[in-house]
Amino acid sequence: MLLFVLTVPLVLAFLPFLIKNHKVTGYINAAGYAVILAGVASIVFNAGTVSYWGFFYVDALSKVFMITIGAVCFTASLYSIGYIEGDLRDKTITLKKAGIYYSLFNLFSFSMLLATAVNNMGMLWVAVELTTLASAFLVGFYNKRESVEAAWKYLIICSAGIALALLGTILMYYTVSAQGNLRNLNWTDVLSVSHRLNPEILKIAFICILAGYGTKAGLAPMHTWLPDAHSQAPAPVSAMLSGVLIKTSLYAILRFAVIVNKACGHGFSNNLFILFGLFSLGLSSAFILVQKDIKRLLAYHSIEHIGIIAVGIGIGGAAGLYGALLHVFNHALTKALMFFGAGNIVRKYGSHNMHRIKGVLQSMPFAGFIIILAVFALGGSPPFSIFISEMIILFAGFNAGSYLTSGLFLLFIAVIFGALVQHYCKMIFGPKPADMPVSSSPYFERASFVFLFIFIVVLGLNIPQGFNRLLTDAAGILKGM
Amino acid sequence: MVEILLALLFISTLMMVTAKRVTAVIISFSHQSFILFLLTLFEAVKINSLELYIVSALILIIKAAGIPMFLRRVVRDIKVNENVGFYIPPVLSLVCVMLLSYMAYIFAGRMLHINGSTQIISFTVSLSVILAGMFMMVFRMKAITQIIGLIVIENGLFLAAVVICGGMPFFVEISIFFDLFICVIILGIFVYRINMLFTHVDVDKLTELKG
Repeated sequence: MLLFVLTVPLVLAFLPFLIKNHKVTGYINAAGYAVILAGVASIVFNAGTVSYWGFFYVDALSKVFMITIGAVCFTASLYSIGYIEGDLRDKTITLKKAGIYYSLFNLFSFSMLLATAVNNMGMLWVAVELTTLASAFLVGFYNKRESVEAAWKYLIICSAGIALALLGTILMYYTVSAQGNLRNLNWTDVLSVSHRLNPEILKIAFICILAGYGTKAGLAPMHTWLPDAHSQAPAPVSAMLSGVLIKTSLYAILRFAVIVNKACGHGFSNNLFILFGLFSLGLSSAFILVQKDIKRLLAYHSIEHIGIIAVGIGIGGAAGLYGALLHVFNHALTKALMFFGAGNIVRKYGSHNMHRIKGVLQSMPFAGFIIILAVFALGGSPPFSIFISEMIILFAGFNAGSYLTSGLFLLFIAVIFGALVQHYCKMIFGPKPADMPVSSSPYFERASFVFLFIFIVVLGLNIPQGFNRLLTDAAGILKGM
Repeated sequence: MVEILLALLFISTLMMVTAKRVTAVIISFSHQSFILFLLTLFEAVKINSLELYIVSALILIIKAAGIPMFLRRVVRDIKVNENVGFYIPPVLSLVCVMLLSYMAYIFAGRMLHINGSTQIISFTVSLSVILAGMFMMVFRMKAITQIIGLIVIENGLFLAAVVICGGMPFFVEISIFFDLFICVIILGIFVYRINMLFTHVDVDKLTELKG
């Protein structure tokens, strides 16, 4: 099943070269992602690990990230149908470019799925670098000055950052081969010899890994590429970048963290996670307060949420890790919904500037209604899912006695909640510009909105049994059991 | 023999740091890659491994010939002036990189408990190459010098992998080559686009996105 799931996007990537009609391509693409999502779900909710030839290895931790990727990519493929059609109608892209878009879209999601499925940590590096390469042209898709600048920064900063991660991998391989007498980098094998590894070298390696993959995960202060890339990419791609790309890098960090924790104890990596997490929260709250550009606002929210996840991991314990992993899923879905909404708004008003956007609820009744609910969901108010995961992390923090961390965490998310709601209320409510017609969303857009919204509400009210077990298992792996 | 090659590698890195023209940097890079090829070949002969032979052949084809040729073509096509654009003048850059190398030497000696001076020196050189690559990425203005900085870092990483752990696992090594190659091509395409849209390739003037 795993091989099937990985083959589908590769096949779909060739589709635009065979079918010239962009609509048909879009439909088949979305159908393909429905199949992928079903395949991923069947892998995820079958207990036990999946492994092939020692090359692929999927355990509960990979499964959490895999289902997130599956869900976000599926909705992005649904949303893309209407979005690409709109771009073609506005003549911002040509038919040929629409084909290229679908091709790269598939390569991008393939590389992310691959990253969560490989066992070898060198291959993990290769897959994460592949995600950058596949998405670079998507970030620079519109070929305007701003988007090319964003794509350049994205490529250079992420490649340089990830080179540092390779140095970390090499250092780890050094101690694995010198002290562990092991000549491969398979995560499962390295974990089994982790007690023999040299803690000093592992610590240096982990700092390189955290700085390296952390660049791509959007942890401050290595986040500088993120607002540019997120704001310039097409809306479905922004959703994938923010929802799952940065999580894939986080996944890579977590894989290394498990080994480092086993060799040197939890204290070292936990403190680093908390430090970077709180810094990300603080920095993003400042930028969110003064933001004018709607997509950059959401991009800084990604930095905030990656900070929340990092703090959750840093606090640790069964509850902290559980909350952090749940937050990975919740944030991905909520942020995808927000980016889709922002995409609609930007198309309708022809501007990224929030001061020029007024009366969304009147001009786009359906989208506006969902967006305002999603704003509260993203800010973290009940009864939506992000509230639950943030509460679990806070609960774990106060229980573990880290009052300073939890207090700062609470302060920053309160500031961000206020800023977010204020920015969005100004846009959503009030009268629409007089000459603007009322428009309704196309059917497929509505489907993607509703799909995401159902998950946001359901997970806010109740976490299903199977998902609960999955998260508990994954938290167990992170705890090193 | 290995020491001589390492010294040559280090010298080629310093030449890249001090070079004033983009083409000179590219030529030094191809020299550096050629020396890296010789070093890998040497290691391959020593431990007689087929995998390292293949990897060294790949270095020769991709890094010493392919990438420099591609970059030279980019430079020719975009027809801008050839200055690399210094933030820090060449002599000061040389001093900075020397200091970084000294720090790498201390790091290599203290932190990694490697036996034998050759290994310490080779690890020092590889770390210096990585740091010099980062230095070039930060302190040069032209887009192409950033690309070269990136592949210099990659060369240093490769050398580090060979000298401290006898090369990464074969499959990983090949995939890294593939990734690197694609990365350089994509960056090259973006250099064309930047040149077309901005009519220059100075990355310090890419300042439209802020805040």
